[in-house]
Amino acid sequence: MTRTLDVSGLVINRAGLPVVRGVSLSAQKGQISVLLGANGAGKTTLLEGLSGIIPTSGGDIALNGRSVIAARAGERARAGLSHVEQGRTVFRQLSTEENLLVGMAPGADLADAYDLFPELLNRRGVRAGLLSGGEQQMLVIARSLLTRPEVILIDEMSAGLAPVVVQRLMAAVRRLADAGLAILLVEQFAALALRIADHAYVMRRGELVYDGLPQPLLADPDRLHHLYLGDVQAA
Amino acid sequence: MNALLTSAVAGLTAAGAYALLGVCAVFTFRLVAVVNFTGAAIGTAGTFSMIGFISLGVPLWPAVVLGILVGTLAGALIGLVMTQWFSEATATTKAAVTAALLVGIVALGLRLTGGQSPKEFPTLFPGSAFRLAGVEVTVASVLTVVLALVFTLLADAFLNRTRTGLHLRALSERPMAAELLGVRVRILALLVWAVTGAFTTFALMIIAPQRSPDFMSLSLLVVPALAAALVGAFRSFPLALAGGLTIGIVEGMSSAIDGISQYRGILPFFVILAVLLWSQRGARWDEAR
Repeated sequence: MTRTLDVSGLVINRAGLPVVRGVSLSAQKGQISVLLGANGAGKTTLLEGLSGIIPTSGGDIALNGRSVIAARAGERARAGLSHVEQGRTVFRQLSTEENLLVGMAPGADLADAYDLFPELLNRRGVRAGLLSGGEQQMLVIARSLLTRPEVILIDEMSAGLAPVVVQRLMAAVRRLADAGLAILLVEQFAALALRIADHAYVMRRGELVYDGLPQPLLADPDRLHHLYLGDVQAA
Repeated sequence: MNALLTSAVAGLTAAGAYALLGVCAVFTFRLVAVVNFTGAAIGTAGTFSMIGFISLGVPLWPAVVLGILVGTLAGALIGLVMTQWFSEATATTKAAVTAALLVGIVALGLRLTGGQSPKEFPTLFPGSAFRLAGVEVTVASVLTVVLALVFTLLADAFLNRTRTGLHLRALSERPMAAELLGVRVRILALLVWAVTGAFTTFALMIIAPQRSPDFMSLSLLVVPALAAALVGAFRSFPLALAGGLTIGIVEGMSSAIDGISQYRGILPFFVILAVLLWSQRGARWDEAR
């Protein structure tokens, strides 16, 4: 199996305190890896370290076998590591289509974005700030797709959205993985995310406490609960 | 009446320069989110460099080009400082940094140019362009106004019709989101600083012979420039253009009125005060209710 993203022993400090402590994980081509954990576990910090938003203090990040640990965020993006941040970071003053065009890589096709989310086609001339929350989330995922990434890191895409929209987004993410992308998905809706995932990680207090298949966690919600809260040792 | 008209026309050169500096301030704020206090000082550095090159025996127009190059590099250097160390800072911090840099540039400029002793600046565009209601309108006046207008139109077209313009608009709104999409944000930010450095230098070269030609006075042209930008709410190029032209023309007219002519320098402060009070009217109305 191709390990598109390989993270080993990653350490990230914030204000001098370790927030991510020696995390090793991978994201593989054609697979969704879901990263779960309670609030404050360090999931978002980990993604920010992976994409280069914040500096790391130790460990390595390799993309297709090449270390990108010293690269800036923009260089990592151009190398194929895309990050869909939490909070639906659309460019509010730009139209939907302009948002899509900002990061469009050579060879990318706008039609791919509209094919993934046909809802955006009728809204292409609308300023992104006027879109609904669900449409904005679709837009940032579609925008990421047009950078022609190999790995997409997606942070809390379902926050504040209606369940029907969340299911729509989950289906789209599954479709991206089936098309050959490696996805690392941070998600609070654990059950929904585990259902579409190929691999699962659980993080607690900056460390991985579960690294394995999603099915055991789906089958035993109590175990997941205990992993979140810390009453059970790592699998 | 004729005296007023003459003075208004005389104020056109300053008006064009204020407008161009104001539009440059809007350009910088819209694209790199910095209220730039160093704009005029950068232009002043380029203008004094031109004088330096001329004194070294370089002919006028090559010296102009070299001066603009110095202004461009100075702008890029300030941009490098801002993007390297303050890219994630708040707008207030960025403004404070540029204010501090202004003080530093002025101190250095005064030291290198021999204090506040005036220098002689060559008139780049001598002569009269045409007569307006019996008043001579100089080539320099027309050129500064046209330059301001061209910069306004070019900036607007560039931002709305080119891919780099789209990147700049994205960068101005969410620098990190733009960077995560692979946009080369640092290079683009440096480009913005360099371009504004070049334009402000050329504007100051044109206006310098008609102002108090010392480093401090020219650097403080940032005040009318920011007043013009404020008229455009730091967003609208056409309103900043109109603001700069109005301030310059009213300043020129006031020089013909005994009793207030010696106070015409404070006009930009009145404009700043008026715009700020106007912008607060909603809050006051809410409080009153």
